Amino acid sequence: MNWHEFQRIFNDCELDGDKIVIKSKLHEVIRFVTQNYTYRILEEIIAIDKGNGETELIYHLYSFEDEEDLFISIIVKDKAESIVDIFESAIADENEIYDLFGIQFTGNENLKRLYMPQDWQGFPLRKDYVQDDTRLAWNDDNEA
Amino acid sequence: MTITKLKLNLGPQHPSTHGVLRLILELDGEKILSCEPDVGYLHRGMEKMAEQMTYIQYLPTVDRIDYLAGCFYSELLCRIVEQALEVELSDKVRVIRVMLLELNRIASHLLWTGSFLMDLGATSPFFYTFREREMILRYFEKLTGQRMMYNYFVFGGVRKDIDCLDDVQEIIDILPEKIDDYEKIITDNPIFLKRTEGKGILDKETALNYAITGVNLRASGVDLDFRNIDYLYKGFDFRTIVLEEKDSWARYKARIMEMRESCNIIHQALEYLKMTPALEQRLINPLNLKLPAGDYFAQIEAPRGLAGCFVCSDGSDKPYRLKWRTGSYYSVNLLRKLLVGEYLNDAIAIAGSLDFILPEVDK
Repeated sequence: MNWHEFQRIFNDCELDGDKIVIKSKLHEVIRFVTQNYTYRILEEIIAIDKGNGETELIYHLYSFEDEEDLFISIIVKDKAESIVDIFESAIADENEIYDLFGIQFTGNENLKRLYMPQDWQGFPLRKDYVQDDTRLAWNDDNEA
Repeated sequence: MTITKLKLNLGPQHPSTHGVLRLILELDGEKILSCEPDVGYLHRGMEKMAEQMTYIQYLPTVDRIDYLAGCFYSELLCRIVEQALEVELSDKVRVIRVMLLELNRIASHLLWTGSFLMDLGATSPFFYTFREREMILRYFEKLTGQRMMYNYFVFGGVRKDIDCLDDVQEIIDILPEKIDDYEKIITDNPIFLKRTEGKGILDKETALNYAITGVNLRASGVDLDFRNIDYLYKGFDFRTIVLEEKDSWARYKARIMEMRESCNIIHQALEYLKMTPALEQRLINPLNLKLPAGDYFAQIEAPRGLAGCFVCSDGSDKPYRLKWRTGSYYSVNLLRKLLVGEYLNDAIAIAGSLDFILPEVDK
């Protein structure tokens, strides 16, 4: 893609290695790259807990016409814009991130616990998650 | 007239859900109005586990992500480490890996062919395909000591030199004839055609929008095979199978054709391996292995679509974050769309044709 053109339109962004780091307007950026370039598959959304309650979301898009990957990264607190109206596959990714990181996606109605039980407390892939759930200690001395 | 909706719970314990998948269907008579997949019955926390293990401790566990095609996931983790430490593989290692990946792909497709036909109610093809799959598993057992969880690829190479090449030769000599036999009893079978032709039509736009990759996408007319841009497959001559029919039958046919193409790749690999001298490789020392801080990304064309691995390293001996991208997860998500408007008795046939496997979904 044409990085200079992109930077002219969204001036609040920078290039870090091969990923584009944006600060805001996630939905607008994703819509822009799908409409103006050939990125037609959202391969996945990657979430990384950066500590201090900050989570990095990396949107990985692929263009098979140009055989090119595109990574768009954004730091969010506990809320992010949903992009299910652009890519339906994001339903799956956003649900997984909600389940494991506790990020709310505004605009996605389908968020629910996916892998974890419905009444599970906490979000396991966060770095501050404490692994001492009493329900897991079946074999402990509380048998009696 | 009022429509009475019926909520039907399909699974999680159902022989044709290939693991444990629960589908919550809303029915009007026999017509499906909506479908909500419920996954997570097989969740083992592969990603959380990775954060607490060193790379070499984690390597033997990754075969379990997709136990029918374990090689592909070990290849991904090895590739991440090799990429981070800038290690280049020798040609012989590359060819050995390609040969085993393709054998694994055939084994996986054979199992799918059998179980898909079983979903449709035909039990005999299951025994035929398992007979040929057994030959491949026997070979893997001879080579690696394991039938399914091989743990054969290691960082920078393979565990030991390849041997018993005659067994592989025998497999690819026999297999094309056997595939002809399957085609004779399946491909033009009127009952099979009635269950699959025109059922579960997946058009190009929907497939791309739902991030479907692999055989399912190519059966919808998109020419996208990640093997074409894979450095491992450089120098191999093979054809990408693209079909335009878009239905369950096309997805079956594409897998059958892909097995023949894999035989072709294995044939080329064998020619090369028979002529080269014994393997010499410099493996990466797995003890105290640390990846430089940064993000690493690898992907490969697995039997069930694109498989990817993302590692964020902070410079320590354990990954800071590791994420798997699996094809099946998106295929299951597609059921939301694909089953709507179909009849209940086609639901199993359509879901089966997508070839998903639940350990890959739940990770």
